[in-house]
Amino acid sequence: MRVTSLLSTALARLVVVGAAIALALPTGAQGQDVEERFPGVSLGITYDGREAATLAIQPFTGVSGGEEIASQVQGIIGRDLRYSNRFQVLDSLPRGISRDEVDYGLWDQIGADFLVTGRVEGAGITSTLVVELHDIVYREVMDRARFPLPNPDSGDFRMAVHTAADEIVYWATGDPGIAATRVVYSQRMEDGNQELWVVDFDGENRRRITDHASISMSPAWSPDGNRVAYVSYRTGLPRIYELNLSTGEERSVPAPREGDYITPTYTPDGQSLIFAVVGGRRSGLFTYNIVRECCFANISEGPYEDISPTVSPDGSRIAFNSNRLGEGAPQIYLVPVGGGQANLLSPYTPGRPGYYSSPDWSPLGNRIAFHGRVDRGMPHQILISEVGTGTRSNRLVQVTSQGRNEDPSWAPDGRHLVYVGERNWGRGLFIVDAVTGNERTLVSGIRPNVPAWSPSLASGVTADR
Amino acid sequence: MHYRRLFFVFAVLGAVTLGACRRESPEPPAPPQEQEDPGPDLDSLQRVQDSIAAAEAEARRQAELERAQADARATLEQMVFFDYDESAITPQAEQVLRQKVEILEASPNVRIRLEGHTDERGSVEYNQALGNRRAESVREFFVQFGLSADRFQTTSYGEERPLVNRSDEEAWAQNRRVEFVITAGADQINPPNM
Repeated sequence: MRVTSLLSTALARLVVVGAAIALALPTGAQGQDVEERFPGVSLGITYDGREAATLAIQPFTGVSGGEEIASQVQGIIGRDLRYSNRFQVLDSLPRGISRDEVDYGLWDQIGADFLVTGRVEGAGITSTLVVELHDIVYREVMDRARFPLPNPDSGDFRMAVHTAADEIVYWATGDPGIAATRVVYSQRMEDGNQELWVVDFDGENRRRITDHASISMSPAWSPDGNRVAYVSYRTGLPRIYELNLSTGEERSVPAPREGDYITPTYTPDGQSLIFAVVGGRRSGLFTYNIVRECCFANISEGPYEDISPTVSPDGSRIAFNSNRLGEGAPQIYLVPVGGGQANLLSPYTPGRPGYYSSPDWSPLGNRIAFHGRVDRGMPHQILISEVGTGTRSNRLVQVTSQGRNEDPSWAPDGRHLVYVGERNWGRGLFIVDAVTGNERTLVSGIRPNVPAWSPSLASGVTADR
Repeated sequence: MHYRRLFFVFAVLGAVTLGACRRESPEPPAPPQEQEDPGPDLDSLQRVQDSIAAAEAEARRQAELERAQADARATLEQMVFFDYDESAITPQAEQVLRQKVEILEASPNVRIRLEGHTDERGSVEYNQALGNRRAESVREFFVQFGLSADRFQTTSYGEERPLVNRSDEEAWAQNRRVEFVITAGADQINPPNM
């Protein structure tokens, strides 16, 4: 029996490795294929070849009424951990295996590196989720925490459970999880208008947050996750507004000069917006302190359009999109946040300039995602460029290859991206893990525009150790 | 028919002569119509007929003016179209814009918002900028013809307000456009000066 188990464990691991190779090979092949198309592209994804740790989830238990939601909570956490793309998750285990004591030997035989156990205590507004992460090799509890759970019917319930999942990811990897996050995007409605919608990271809890019967688009999250800046055409001209998600109050950016006010983004301190003013003979990037409602200032200006700014996490530099090198050939540039010399980031080649657009700076600071294509007629794909301290980087990877894909936005873990995808069956929002290349559909059956991934929204629910 | 036309010519001549004799009459002479059976009191009948004719002529002039104004307005509001990923004015667009220039020269109180649009290909945000550039191209064209830049406001809807909601070459060509929205002086549109 022991031998059989070990053998099956070994087989299971072989399967995992096989899956990893199967994943890596086609994408690697695409990478080579792509090399002829995108200058400087070296590999399809940044697959690091390491085998993901196996994480098992022991069926959650409940006491004092907690039994009723235990399996629901476990289901949410199991999917969250799978969507983190950091583990081989084993969570479809027979209920008979559920017990309060952990049989480390059994889990070792099954092949788990980590084990998650969970217990829901109480029901309604007084319930608590107790989670433990066990190290199977060392046969000990690595970490544990108690999470207060709101009423399962309340809108905060799933976010509280996601917060627990993110804590597990942090315990196991030292990196932040992304389950307690949301994506905001605009959606083209039946009447041709666009409203802003928000969806949880797992595709649940989708809801509309604007109702202006106009075009609302290009949303950006404030660093604290409480506010969303966006463009609205409600007055007939595109202007920038900020919606406070908890109070519903709105502020607007004044328009002291003529032009379209588009593509807002926040500075890392959450005080200011940086955006483009397009129109007149000169367009440029501007900044405005939305908290103090002052200090409208210019960053760049010229007889071309600088748009879609994104700020480095240290607040020192801006990446943006511009047609400085010619119409129909937008490129990505870097410029100091105070203005100055702009340097090219995208893989521009004279005579074959390509089209690169919609940059988003990774929260980890080291990479910028954008989308583009080399020649007309080619579908746009999501690309990631390393950002060195120098002027131009030649390390570029392509992380999508199916259909056409645009407008990437980083998750707070700096490895997942959400973007608008078009497939032969329709459009939707997709998420790719830039490390494994795993792609999943977040929302489909709608016409979404320009998504933005929130920072961690877990701060509302604190772990009580 | 010949007789009628002849009679008409004589009637006009008569009216003109009559008008010339009567200096006190403020009414401009106008061709009376259908005078088959002139009555005995030629003078008073003539006055009635004159005033009817004048009113009818005035109505005709008014109708013609309104038609010309409507034509002018339609010309002003006529969209112009662009090539893929371009903001340059095409020769076809230039023909339309030249007609607009003549009307705008004759209609100094008219102000227009130029709304640029793109097809759905390419980046959503870049297309917002591209639409604005198309609107600016139109404004620059007008300015080159001596029209004041501040009569025109530019904005862009990018790819968000397609004219034709399909994904083919024909639809894309229709969607790459600048629309002209009259924001002031809509009741003071004059046909081109001759």
